[in-house]
Amino acid sequence: MALFLSLLLNGLALGMLIFLIAVGLSLIFGLMGVLNFAHGAIFAWGAYVGWMVYTSTGSFLLAILAGTAAGFVIGWVMERVFIRAFYGNHVAQILLTLGLMIVMTEGIKAIWGPNILGFDPPTWLQGTVPILGELFPIYRIFVIGVGLLVLIGVHLLLTRTKYGIIIRAGVQDPEMVQALGINVKQVFSLVFAFGAALASFGAVVAGPMFGSIVPEIGMTHQLNAFIVVVIGGTGNFIGAAVGALLVGLTQTFMAYYLPEAAVAVNVALMALVLILRPQGLFGARR
Amino acid sequence: MRERLFNNKLLLVILLAALAILPFVTDSKFLLSMMITVFIMAVYGMSYDLLLGYTGIVSFGHAIFFGVGAYSVGILLAKTGDKGLLWLAVGLAIVLSIVLGILVGVLSLRVKDVYFSMVTLAVGELLFIIAEKWNTLTGGNDGLTYIPVPKIFHDRLAFYYIALLFLAVMYLFLRRVVSSPLGRTLQAIRENEHRVRSLGYNVLQYKVASIVISGVVATLAGAMWALFQRYINTSVLGLDRTIDALLMTIIGGSGTLIGAVFGSGVITFVHDWLSSLSGVSPIFERYMMFFGIIYIIIVIWFPKGIIGTIRDKWMSLRHSRRS
Repeated sequence: MALFLSLLLNGLALGMLIFLIAVGLSLIFGLMGVLNFAHGAIFAWGAYVGWMVYTSTGSFLLAILAGTAAGFVIGWVMERVFIRAFYGNHVAQILLTLGLMIVMTEGIKAIWGPNILGFDPPTWLQGTVPILGELFPIYRIFVIGVGLLVLIGVHLLLTRTKYGIIIRAGVQDPEMVQALGINVKQVFSLVFAFGAALASFGAVVAGPMFGSIVPEIGMTHQLNAFIVVVIGGTGNFIGAAVGALLVGLTQTFMAYYLPEAAVAVNVALMALVLILRPQGLFGARR
Repeated sequence: MRERLFNNKLLLVILLAALAILPFVTDSKFLLSMMITVFIMAVYGMSYDLLLGYTGIVSFGHAIFFGVGAYSVGILLAKTGDKGLLWLAVGLAIVLSIVLGILVGVLSLRVKDVYFSMVTLAVGELLFIIAEKWNTLTGGNDGLTYIPVPKIFHDRLAFYYIALLFLAVMYLFLRRVVSSPLGRTLQAIRENEHRVRSLGYNVLQYKVASIVISGVVATLAGAMWALFQRYINTSVLGLDRTIDALLMTIIGGSGTLIGAVFGSGVITFVHDWLSSLSGVSPIFERYMMFFGIIYIIIVIWFPKGIIGTIRDKWMSLRHSRRS
């Protein structure tokens, strides 16, 4: 039981991180039809900027702020400069984001070096807390808590605000939204930057959870995020949340019981969804 | 007319002849090895061009096929020590890649084209991890060394001509494919999928056919690679190998076939040149950044790549001269 609880909490923490990456990817894809292959690289930039600020100032909060801001700016610039000119040309967009992924990953290696860097939690988040007689690292609890807060926040944003409603309408039918007199292009930039900010926020939070960062850090998470998008359905918030938790939990449990098959099970899960419900667990049939 | 330049049979024959007499001009073993690399990678790049340039779908796991070819040959020959099993290994590799191609294609393309990108990435990553973990079969990260190959492949000069022949045959085969009714339909799908569908074509079947043909050619390139190197490790399945295919096709010019051959040459030699400069400044260790920037510039401003752009310039020049 103690083992089960421990794996459950670890899986939830990982699921929350994957959610932070996947939700942006899914919204960007659902709204603009752009498969952002550089999303993982934005994640990596968030982690490195956060790490830099953290090691130079010692403030974890500042690090989170800086990493998130870096992601927002990168996402904004990326959409404005590169993606915008190619709406309607999906192939060019995918190819472009792949090129940006290469350049951004190499950029990290050029600036911070290609080697692994240590990333410890701040002192106020170190240590363990007892839950049901078991000791858990405070940091994991912190990740789950923060993830839940963001999840609820994004949900409220999407359901209760004007922008959220425009975004959800845009996922359904961008042309109709445009016809109703709303500047969809402006919303595109914002969503792109917002999705990138969420990913890089997740990256700074993820750093201390894994204890280290490497330039290729984004790729693994991006793969998981792709799987989540397929499982949950594109542009679907609930799908991204449920899919991310599912993938996080499977990954953690498999890593304990059958580590060799951890990735295989997630890919199999994706294949199963593609066979039985190609539009995703929560996706609407079109 | 536009098709003429670079597809011009005379020009190609001259190119082929120049490549065929190259070993008589130089006896640099290094240069011959580089050229063999260029030939094999060119076939791999052309196979990717069939997908990207002619069908208009983006694979992020093309290394799957290259790796299947390399590992089939590597494992079967290295584990049995029997060189005679080469043809069996190649046959096995082809069957495997056909099955994989159909599986991945049907599963993902049933939904949307971009799903193909995501699913190929996931399957590629899965195969990469299997190759890393299944030590007893693949040798893990260390790979398979001293793969026994038939004697003729030991001779570098002979291998040079085999690789050149391989490139020529594969080029002719793919050129035949893209100008066949199948290839024409693929290009029509690339241009306007809805219209092709409304004309009654089963678009999914055509796309899967394109994946299978492309996959088999990439598999053969992978098998040649294993024969050439006599050593393989997990890098044949890695994402970097897929990115190689993308760089070659895009930089050379997608939708031209011959572009991938030029792309392969450019990348192989520039890569070698830049890595030799890494002693001068550590920035040259980041040669991928250089390729990445070139790649982005080409995608934005020269979507037809080097060959396509030169071809267009040449055409407009001739046009203006005539008028």
